[in-house]
Amino acid sequence: MSRKEHPVWEEELMPYVDGQLDAAQASEIEKHLKECEECAAVIADARLLSKQMGTWVVENSPRGMDEHILSEMEKKKGRRQQWAWWSRNRSWAFGLGGAFAAVALMVVLMPSHKDDLSNHFGDASRSVAGQINPAPLQRPAMPQDGNQQGQQGQQGQQTLDSLLAKTLPAAQSQPTAEAPSGPMIIRNARLSILTKEFEAARARIQAIVQQTQGYLDQLTVRGETGSGKSLSATLRLPSSQLESGLVELRKLGKVLEESQGSSDVTSQYVDLQARLTNARNTEQRLLALQRERTDKLTDVVGVEREIARVREEIERMEAQRKDVFNKTQFATIQVELSEEYRAEIQPSAPSAGTQLHNALVDGYHGALNSLLALALFFLRYGPALLLWAIVLVPVALLLRRRHQGLRVG
Amino acid sequence: MKSDEQLMLEYQGGSPHAFEQLFERYRNPVYGFFRRRLNNASRAEELAQETFVVILRDTEHYKPTARFRTYMYAIALKQLWSERRKEIRDGKLAAAVLHEERPQGDPETGLWVRAALEQLDPDHREVLMLREYEQLSYDEIAEVLAVPVNTVRSRLSRARVELKSLLESQSARGVSQ
Repeated sequence: MSRKEHPVWEEELMPYVDGQLDAAQASEIEKHLKECEECAAVIADARLLSKQMGTWVVENSPRGMDEHILSEMEKKKGRRQQWAWWSRNRSWAFGLGGAFAAVALMVVLMPSHKDDLSNHFGDASRSVAGQINPAPLQRPAMPQDGNQQGQQGQQGQQTLDSLLAKTLPAAQSQPTAEAPSGPMIIRNARLSILTKEFEAARARIQAIVQQTQGYLDQLTVRGETGSGKSLSATLRLPSSQLESGLVELRKLGKVLEESQGSSDVTSQYVDLQARLTNARNTEQRLLALQRERTDKLTDVVGVEREIARVREEIERMEAQRKDVFNKTQFATIQVELSEEYRAEIQPSAPSAGTQLHNALVDGYHGALNSLLALALFFLRYGPALLLWAIVLVPVALLLRRRHQGLRVG
Repeated sequence: MKSDEQLMLEYQGGSPHAFEQLFERYRNPVYGFFRRRLNNASRAEELAQETFVVILRDTEHYKPTARFRTYMYAIALKQLWSERRKEIRDGKLAAAVLHEERPQGDPETGLWVRAALEQLDPDHREVLMLREYEQLSYDEIAEVLAVPVNTVRSRLSRARVELKSLLESQSARGVSQ
């Protein structure tokens, strides 16, 4: 029988029985089963066979296993404690080492920057602002086809691609509007700006957010006496609007500092998608099993527990996937806006009458406070003084009387 | 409920309770894996223990990109193959899959299934057992056995056809007797 005469091979029916197909493929098979009695019989046979195999039950594991495993865990714990310091501080050690290496490298490679940093603030601002490269960070273009990514010579990507290749048929058939057609990049930028017109700049920031259809994630305004106002804001703009947004923001004043960064999360996203597809397949299989095996209560409970576990896993991974996707859709711009401070003339001193009134009030408060202090002194030390007086005064009187007696004698 | 992978990461981070949970979750499945494939119950217990011990000793090698179940059954399979090699070397291997005593559950069908499975081609049998008893997906079986997914699919299909015919012939013999 040719493929044209019979569109489904017997081998293709097994994944259907095992819940290994996605919804679209399964519905195609179901459609076929309504018309083909032969295939329907194969499905029924496979399900019966699965049920028959399920009757071969073995006893639970002996409790003696626990002791052995527990003792092994104790041994492992001992070994871990020996290396605990290094394990705990390894990341710090590597981090500090890396930081020192980076600083040393910067000092060696960019000696001219030392002069810039030691300059006056304004000069430094100009020199740093002058070094800003307004062009976005360039990344090598990646192929559109996920299967070709592994051919770039990146070893880490190969495992991922094989995983993707395995799940690709399922993924293609699903309506995945969020499937990556190219590299998925999370972009971020930081701008430090000095402005003369603080309020106008603040209003402009909000206008830029609206124009680019982004949103203001966070905004803090500070204003202290003796210094200008400052604003710290986190803007989330659509990634495609990042460049235009930055151009507009640079116009707000003098750019003191600018930095841009990005992280490629394609691997993470594809990995999550693949794991999600697997988990969904497992869930389908478990649901099929739940429908099939209803002979033992313990089996049913076990399957239901497993379904709950897989569902939770799916929901967790789905949330992670959406989070990663959303982060790639919106770039983050951290804006630090400072007002160029202009000292204001202090208001005139208060009148003589006000000064006299203030002096009187201060004097009254001073007298009251001194009285209070005296009362507090006596309350605090009075009992001790009284005690000493009771002890010392009779002794003093006795001595005085004796002295007088001697003189008379 | 935490996933296996989360528990494994927690154990890597130093939580022994996480591994206790994993052990409790998989002690019966892993024991069952060996029990269905070996004649000797105490040896099945030892190998199940050994599987968990290997996981414990090599915790650092586990990467969350692999599913824990796949990782665990791959270790269990290695233990099983090593055991079979040893049995062959010692001349003890009579049958790869069989219990000497009657299994629990439905005695008639259980016996028939066990006897029929014994007659299957070993490669086909392993795929079928991983699918039916360990409940692994096609991708997971392919990963554990290091074969392509299409091979898993074809072996599974053939194993089912063979097993069905074996069970039918046994049933016919039983009726005639």
